[in-house]
Amino acid sequence: MKPSPPHRALKFLRWFCQEDYIEEIEGDLTEVFEKQYEQSQTKARRKFTWSVIRYFRPEFIKSFKSSSNPNTIAMFRHNFLLTFRNFKRYKSSFFINLVGLSTGLACSLLIYLWVADELRMDKFHKDDSQIFQVLENFDEATGLRTGETTSGYMAESLAADMPEVEYSVAVLTYPERKTLSVEDKNLKASGRYVGKDFFKIFSFPIVQGNPDKIWLNKNTILVSEALALKLFNTTENIIGRTIKFQHDQEFFVSGIFSTIPSNSSQQFDFLLSFEEFVADRQNYLDWGNTPANAYVKLKSGVNVDDFNGKIADYVQIKRNKKVRYRTPFLARYSDRYLYGKYENGIQSGGRIEYVKLFSIIALFILGIACINFMNLSTAKASRRTREVGIKKTIGASRKSLIHYYLGESTLMAFLSALAAVGLVLLLLPQFNEITGKHLVLNPDIELILSLLGVVLLTGLVSGSYPALYLSGFNPVVILKGKLSNAMGEVWARKGLVILQFSISVILIVSVLVVYKQIEFVQSKNLGFTKDNVIFFDREGKLEEEEHIEAFLHEVENLPGVLSASVTSHGLSGADWGVYGFEWEGKDPNDNTHFEHMTVYFDVMEILEMELRSGRTFSKDFGSEFTKVIFNEAAIEHMALKDPIGEKIKFWGMDKEIIGVVKNFHFESLHESIRPLMISFWPSKTKRFIVKIEGGKEKEVIDGLQKFYRGYNPGFALDYKFLDSEYQLQYVAEQRVATLSHYFAGLAILISCLGLFGLATFTAERRIKEIGIRKILGSSIWGIVRLLSGDFGKMVMAAVAIALPISYFIVAKWLESFAYRIDLKWWFFIGAGVMALFIAWLTVGIQTIKAARINPTECLKDE
Amino acid sequence: MIEHSLGEFEELVLLMVAAHHDEAYGVLILENLEEKLGKKINISAIHVALKRMENKGFVKSRFGGITNERGGRRKKFYAITALGKRVLDNQYALRTSIYQQIPKISFS
Repeated sequence: MKPSPPHRALKFLRWFCQEDYIEEIEGDLTEVFEKQYEQSQTKARRKFTWSVIRYFRPEFIKSFKSSSNPNTIAMFRHNFLLTFRNFKRYKSSFFINLVGLSTGLACSLLIYLWVADELRMDKFHKDDSQIFQVLENFDEATGLRTGETTSGYMAESLAADMPEVEYSVAVLTYPERKTLSVEDKNLKASGRYVGKDFFKIFSFPIVQGNPDKIWLNKNTILVSEALALKLFNTTENIIGRTIKFQHDQEFFVSGIFSTIPSNSSQQFDFLLSFEEFVADRQNYLDWGNTPANAYVKLKSGVNVDDFNGKIADYVQIKRNKKVRYRTPFLARYSDRYLYGKYENGIQSGGRIEYVKLFSIIALFILGIACINFMNLSTAKASRRTREVGIKKTIGASRKSLIHYYLGESTLMAFLSALAAVGLVLLLLPQFNEITGKHLVLNPDIELILSLLGVVLLTGLVSGSYPALYLSGFNPVVILKGKLSNAMGEVWARKGLVILQFSISVILIVSVLVVYKQIEFVQSKNLGFTKDNVIFFDREGKLEEEEHIEAFLHEVENLPGVLSASVTSHGLSGADWGVYGFEWEGKDPNDNTHFEHMTVYFDVMEILEMELRSGRTFSKDFGSEFTKVIFNEAAIEHMALKDPIGEKIKFWGMDKEIIGVVKNFHFESLHESIRPLMISFWPSKTKRFIVKIEGGKEKEVIDGLQKFYRGYNPGFALDYKFLDSEYQLQYVAEQRVATLSHYFAGLAILISCLGLFGLATFTAERRIKEIGIRKILGSSIWGIVRLLSGDFGKMVMAAVAIALPISYFIVAKWLESFAYRIDLKWWFFIGAGVMALFIAWLTVGIQTIKAARINPTECLKDE
Repeated sequence: MIEHSLGEFEELVLLMVAAHHDEAYGVLILENLEEKLGKKINISAIHVALKRMENKGFVKSRFGGITNERGGRRKKFYAITALGKRVLDNQYALRTSIYQQIPKISFS
């Protein structure tokens, strides 16, 4: 046997060398190699490789350009025609592909729009990278709690003390919805108090008014264009006009800003001056309180981490080292929307989790749709092998076959994309309703490019297997009909089906668990009754304490009103945290915030809260100002053994505990129940709470509105139902629930389409076998079992794979709830059985049809 | 006369082709040159020289028959053309005439 020169070097030479020279060069090289080989093998090999490299020069390299086909256009037309005929000939697989791919693409497109919108949130500010919000970590007995608010003085003080800060601004979100009036027109609008550098930090455009002078006057108000139009019916010449605020103060319009876009997390209609507001309310500036938000713009180039290190003990210094438990730090403003959650002082997700979740779902669904396409194409491969054989014999190169198949799949993807865009346009209104967004399909460059990218990718991915696989066949083998289905191909197909169904099962389990948890949230005993209770704000003359009692009396006399009172708490989320308690045996370092709920008589009765011991506030005992009620969590925290009658100090005032209320959920079920104090303090209350008779909501509210208009002229009754406010806490979860319903349904639909296609194909291919079996006496059911057995096994394998994964996923999701359902075994088994059932149903219809065929029909030819 | 220029190495190769008239091919030229010059030459250098001279018309080539040697590749045999011979003669004449102008100096 002759020694052979290095294989790779030779291949390389043959690849680049011109045809004219290869004969001579390779021959001479080989001869030299063989001669040297007798002396030293390694040396000969090395020499050979080196010489080959020496030939890699322009004289010998062939021209690679010349290989392009001169009639590209003709070939393109030819391929296009063939593709088209193929679609027409195999209509069912064409439609399965079209429906599967277009729904998959539509789904991903919708999710893309949503994700893009979420990611754009708050990013539009000009100096986005320099804008930060001041947050504070509070060291409490249960760990670090991160608060979004800080002292009112923080903003101004940081700007004065820290050279790194370019601008800073304090923002009070308190005014919320207030009544603004122009002449006899009254409107409720939401606003906030902001510091004078607000517009230097945030780039909300000012359309009228001099940006440098807008805050110069006292009693200044800035309104949005939309609000100006509503109040004045015009935006012309309204600078300097007056707006009455709460029928009390008068403000001059000093500027108009353009209406806040929906991709801003701060939403407001008007702005008032923070400096004016706090001028006679010094407690807002006290370093001990944390009522305001603070935003800063750092100078460019300042490292935030260094800055955070610098301000860590800032509050401590400001409070003469008396306060050690508050650590302020900066978080990037535009990150706050997506990364809003902190656990024990460490950033731990937020909305970004849902963004990630849905992105993954989009990929999954698109993946399932691509798998369908791939599976059907590979399955059909055997049907088209002859076509490949003939084409290759006539002279089609492998490359042109690859082009043809990739072209076919890309065209398919393109058609599906067109259908998908149609679907998206159709579904966008509903999708917006579910997600609470204002998404539009704007054909901007970015969208078109990404859509084209997805189409190309989908086409390439789903066409790659048939393109590379089919084109590689040896024409002689194909045309002799000797080609047996490679085991690898069958395995790949099975693997893909298993993958599809695993994803579907995971989605089914998730839907089931999300649904159950939401149901649990709806029906959990909260410790108070939320039905038929409405809230509305204390405003106008009701701001004065002496009117409260008379007002309540009159309200209670309205028909259908069962009871009425006034409180501070909305019972749908934390409202007012206080500290500064003293009780016997208190650890002096314990700075835990208690939730504070101020009430008038009857609030606890209206909400049907249960007492564990003691009594509630009652008119029989005269003034109850010195009495307080705690919840069980608070008593436990304070470790009081016999709380009733026990004296505590709160903000220096002596208070006596008269009752202990059973724990109730004043925050969402994500949070465990924290200590809470209820005190009798009507002047500190904020909203009226009215229990109305069930079934009479409309009449009662009409009556109440009529009465209120007369009682508090110029103020509209802005009421809210407690149970719908409660639901608002779970908006995100509700959205996930609704969307995951649809997505899981789609995933299953697409998977089943694929299965259906495969079943059809298998039945078609084994039609002769079926005929022979039937002649030999096989029953219909025997044949059905034969045909569907494989699919059953695949789906079963998918279920087995999916269940542990889905367990992991849903358990993780449930962890975000402090109160959650237990995972029951039947969630999983149920999902598995459901997937199996659907799969069998899909395959069954097709196989029964195949099994019922008359054997003479299928055996008469050939 | 750029086309008729002949580099030193090309001249050597051309001489070899002329010496082994119609039997000269890559490896043969290589071995003979290596023997005469007493140093290693890479085969690619020979091929480059042959290719250039073929383009200039100094040599012509033909393929030999297929054998089992050389990995089944045919040999390419080179022969000098009339033009090649003339260029070689010119070169030789030029050198000789200049050489004869050297005065008789003794180098002792």
